[in-house]
Amino acid sequence: MRTTSFSLPKSFLGVLPLYLAVEIVLGITAFNKVSGAFGILALFTGHPLAFMQWVFYLWSTVTLFVFAQGLFEIHKPNILTFSQIFVFYSIDTLCNCFFTLWFTGDWFNVESQTEAAVGSTITKRTEDISSQGASQGYEYSMTIFITLTSLVFRFYFNFILASFVQELLRHPKYMFDQDDIEQDLKNKSIWKRWWLKCQKSCYKLCKNLLA
Amino acid sequence: MSRYLEKWFLSERPPNCHVADLETSFDPKITLRKLQRYKMSVADWCHYGFLGSVLLFVFITNPAPWFLKFLAYAFLGLLFIIPITSQFFFNALPILTWVALYFTSSSFPASSRPPITVKVLPAIETILYGDNLSDILATSTNPILDILAWIPYGVLHFSAPFFIAAVLFVFGPPTILQGFSFAFGYMNLFGVIIQNFFPAAPPWYKILYGLQSAHYGMHGSPGGLARIDKLLNINVYTQAFSNSSVIFGAFPSLHSGCSTIDALFLAYCFPRLTPLFIGYVCWLWWSTMYLTHHYFVDLIAGSVISYVVFQYTKYFHLPVVDVDLFCRWSYSSIEKYDMVRSDPLQVDSNDVESVPLQAMDLGIELNRRDTREGTNSLSPYIFDRNDNSSATSNTSLDLQGDLLNPTSRLGKQRVD
Repeated sequence: MRTTSFSLPKSFLGVLPLYLAVEIVLGITAFNKVSGAFGILALFTGHPLAFMQWVFYLWSTVTLFVFAQGLFEIHKPNILTFSQIFVFYSIDTLCNCFFTLWFTGDWFNVESQTEAAVGSTITKRTEDISSQGASQGYEYSMTIFITLTSLVFRFYFNFILASFVQELLRHPKYMFDQDDIEQDLKNKSIWKRWWLKCQKSCYKLCKNLLA
Repeated sequence: MSRYLEKWFLSERPPNCHVADLETSFDPKITLRKLQRYKMSVADWCHYGFLGSVLLFVFITNPAPWFLKFLAYAFLGLLFIIPITSQFFFNALPILTWVALYFTSSSFPASSRPPITVKVLPAIETILYGDNLSDILATSTNPILDILAWIPYGVLHFSAPFFIAAVLFVFGPPTILQGFSFAFGYMNLFGVIIQNFFPAAPPWYKILYGLQSAHYGMHGSPGGLARIDKLLNINVYTQAFSNSSVIFGAFPSLHSGCSTIDALFLAYCFPRLTPLFIGYVCWLWWSTMYLTHHYFVDLIAGSVISYVVFQYTKYFHLPVVDVDLFCRWSYSSIEKYDMVRSDPLQVDSNDVESVPLQAMDLGIELNRRDTREGTNSLSPYIFDRNDNSSATSNTSLDLQGDLLNPTSRLGKQRVD
């Protein structure tokens, strides 16, 4: 049996059982992933989507389904589902870092253009009132702070999921041979077959990584 | 009528069961006696300590005359001490605290408030969600969409919590209403505290003033709801939102928070209708962005606070729902979640599926002896390898691999 080189969190915030954390992690992530559906809704308002936005929104929609299934079976977890969730979550964390960088670039591009256009029209205010509005430095530091906090949480959540899947893999109750289970794949729709195959390969990957 | 109601609600009532009974006495002595016997836990100290300090803060900072403030608190105290009213009002303490803080928020002096941010939310929205989603959804408007957006934002948001409280009270298990008011109150209270510490301009501000910095002397705006006022020939929303207590309270969205907590409680009580409740939250999300009241990130923040508060309430306060029972009077007892026992990772020695690993190792030892003897018997595999119907066999893949190659296990210790 392989042991991981660093220790994963064995409880949520040091006190609560892991499954509570997984429930919270999946719920929060599912809320965030709904952005995909709302992004695609933008098409109805006639707003064009850039290629990277298409990729981001479609990926969000797919992952929404993957993460949502975990919420329904958290009290009776299926190791295949949670392996799939863990693998998708890990890929999603990497994608998230990339998308965050990409869209940050996008925002600052737009921002610098509007700033140049609007800069001259801003009306002057008295010292007293203008101090009530945030300075540029404050705005930027808050933006960076919130973005980094969300990324830090994401990594912590990723470790929580890794730990949960590891515990499942090592737990006698869930430790059974997946090849033993009769799937009856032939009588299932192509989507279901593909989904189950995907879960199976995620399971194998998790077993190699975490067990 | 009363006979009809009795037949409808009380027909399933277990005999001699009083869990659903309400307090009908007006005698303050009963409350005082209960108070004397009550032992405060750590959670209670935190709960009452926190709410008490917020209420004290409101008492000091609210600009109303001291006499009136004292009278209001004394009246609340009276409602808490009379058993018939206390069962509702005392449990609504988090909601009362939120309302008190919300209406005091407008009176905080501008000099001591944090600076108002204008760019943070649209920037975060683009960085985390790929685009200004709220902006995009508000670009094309028409009267039908206006009405469709107004229903959840301007009508259901204000009326639904009362309706849901009534539904939960009648059709949920006893004490679920306490949980609802706890979660609803705390969610809103946390929301208002964050709004005060992190004042941020909503999308309508960007439309009206662009990227100009904001100040506390500005009036609020009804955003897209102004179109509803015009359509219905009223002045309700323009009036209410222009004089709102928390004008720069875009983050988090309490509209989103309230709808999420409503949906979570309803889904908890009526799990079969969950898709309907999810649909309601999505509808409200769209309407807040369409009416230019919130950025997408505000909605997520509101919902996340709701969700976390709900999860806490579920595991520490809420009674377990029995979907087969009709209403509160059908319950014979109140059961709470056992956090440890519901843990799927818990090893239960009474559970046949949780075979201890030592037993498995014993099985392997026996098998190993067989192989050594050259019998090549795979008898223990029969149940696991050839019988595919055994979905819950306890032999793991790595164990099987070890069985095929017995030497590989020598000198290897399980760390589980």
